[in-house]
Amino acid sequence: MIEIRDLTKVYRLNKKQMAESHTKNPKKTAVDHLSLTAKKGEIYGLLGPNGAGKTTTLRCISTIIRPTSGEIYVDGHEVQKEPEAVRNSIGFLTSDIKLDDQFDADYMFRFFGRLHKVPEDVLKKRRDELFDYFGISEFAHKKIKELSTGMKQKAAIAVSLVHDPDIVIFDEPTNGLDIITARNVTDYLKKLRDDGKLVIISTHIMSEAQKLCDRIGMIIDGKKEAEGTLDELLTKTCTNDLEDAFFQIYSARKGVM
Amino acid sequence: MLNGIKQIFGKEMARILKDKKMVFSVFLLPVLIMVVLLTIINNLAGQMQSDIEEHKAIVWMQNEPDSFETFLASAGAEYDIRTIDSDSDRGEAEDAILNGDADLLIEFPVDFDAMIAGFQEGDAVPQIKTYYNPSEEYSSQAYQEISVGVLESYRQTLLAGRVGNPDAITVFTVNSDNDDMVIQDDEKASGQALGMMLPYFITILLFAGAMGIGTDMIAGEKERGTMASLLVAPVKRSSIVLGKVFALMVVSGISSLVYVAGMVICTPFMMDSMTGMDEALNLNLGPDQILMLGLLLVAIAFLYSAVVALISVFAKTTKEASSYIMPVYMVVLVVGLLTMFRMGDGGPWDYYIPFYNSAIALQAILSHELTMSQYLITLVETLALGGILTVLIARAFNNEKVMAL
Repeated sequence: MIEIRDLTKVYRLNKKQMAESHTKNPKKTAVDHLSLTAKKGEIYGLLGPNGAGKTTTLRCISTIIRPTSGEIYVDGHEVQKEPEAVRNSIGFLTSDIKLDDQFDADYMFRFFGRLHKVPEDVLKKRRDELFDYFGISEFAHKKIKELSTGMKQKAAIAVSLVHDPDIVIFDEPTNGLDIITARNVTDYLKKLRDDGKLVIISTHIMSEAQKLCDRIGMIIDGKKEAEGTLDELLTKTCTNDLEDAFFQIYSARKGVM
Repeated sequence: MLNGIKQIFGKEMARILKDKKMVFSVFLLPVLIMVVLLTIINNLAGQMQSDIEEHKAIVWMQNEPDSFETFLASAGAEYDIRTIDSDSDRGEAEDAILNGDADLLIEFPVDFDAMIAGFQEGDAVPQIKTYYNPSEEYSSQAYQEISVGVLESYRQTLLAGRVGNPDAITVFTVNSDNDDMVIQDDEKASGQALGMMLPYFITILLFAGAMGIGTDMIAGEKERGTMASLLVAPVKRSSIVLGKVFALMVVSGISSLVYVAGMVICTPFMMDSMTGMDEALNLNLGPDQILMLGLLLVAIAFLYSAVVALISVFAKTTKEASSYIMPVYMVVLVVGLLTMFRMGDGGPWDYYIPFYNSAIALQAILSHELTMSQYLITLVETLALGGILTVLIARAFNNEKVMAL
């Protein structure tokens, strides 16, 4: 289970970043008093436009960055107090995180498996299972730098799941993937959910959220503006599809459109 | 903790050793360059030396006395002798020396033989003048050989003719048959010669070895976006740092060992052109000194690796890291130079100055001059400083701004 309580993340901008954002305020609030709870056996989607704070939230959960205030519990472990315990129970993936391209997928898989202290026999089983599912076996011994974007993404997914984590955090899971690989990935996320794991993803693709997520949290300007199942959100906004529901909530927040 | 360090260390080592280009550029290329360069230098120097020796000096003579001609013939000296008969000849000779076409001009006083034969006490002493061009190798060689050597023998011959036994007017000689004039501890002397060079090379090589790979290991990993994958793995930041620093230590250690081995292999090549090198490398180290040396080298490799890692962690790209490290490399070069030209025992605080102390301690171990307390101060301080830097790096790893996350 993931429980976020009143999470706020404020970035300090340098002069260059201030100039780029056309602001004189050196502080940028990326996530603003956000709270949410995601449970095992569901796919929870953070839906919002670019810059809404989705990725920052996921990075705070994954202990890559520290919250400015608030608390995040991952399976009962607080991210700032027990970061290693948190990292042990999650698998985190984003297109920003890359595998060392000097190695092949097989080496990277074994390396991260050993870092997670996965026993060798289990590691071999996991390897066979994941490599077969994502069709990695055929290029498992090719250097990462020789792989296509889709192959790299598949390898990265397999590596992030090496330790069979109970919680899978995925930032933009289908970003940059072709339609077949994207389907492959979303199907696997559903399988993980069906196996009783918690999957939390971020996306700005409405159709993906609609098809994949059991519950959706809409984030705009770092605040959670709405949360619920697809049906709950449609009922609440009196709309027929998620895109319309999102725009209604978005314009209510921004006071335009 | 240990598992993390072991895995990270293993990955970093594999990254370097599996990359043939990296192995070639880090371990083989520098040695190859050194061997090729030294061989070329040695060959050229040897060629130059034998060329000078084989060269028949071109000597212009003005007013050459018959006695000198006879002396040269009896001494078996072979020169290309040209005689100056006129003022224009003299001008030609000087021009030739200036241009390097002739090597020496010997100007005797007119009627030199007569002056010598008819010499009375109170007469002016005849003067032989020689002219040469110090910028020309042949000319310098001719000057050394003729002005200093041949003419001195000629003087002795003429002197013998005048006084019978030259010993009668020799008041004393200095070290004419004193083979034991040098009183020194050979062990210390060879250590000093080696101690002057080796610490300089070792400190520079250790740092240079760590520099190239360290920037790639940390700043490069940030640049490629692969660092974040390590940061979400359940290992302590300090394990990641130690794994990387240890790998860096080993690689820089191996590369400097390869260099030193290369130097030793190259020594026979150098022997011909640099006399005295055979003695300089005649090391005489006991097991305790080898142990002291080994431990200190490990400590230095640790400190340098930590320095390189700390600087790299603050850089966004390898290029940026390299430019940050350059000034530190300059400092290491200067510290190495300082040890080369250090006189006496230095001040009592020398062994407390980080970086400098390890370089002079290396030197002092080789010349058998280091006390145990000086050694321990250096070793502990170097290790402690490396440890402090490692803690700082681990802290930097926790800083999302520094890690550019």
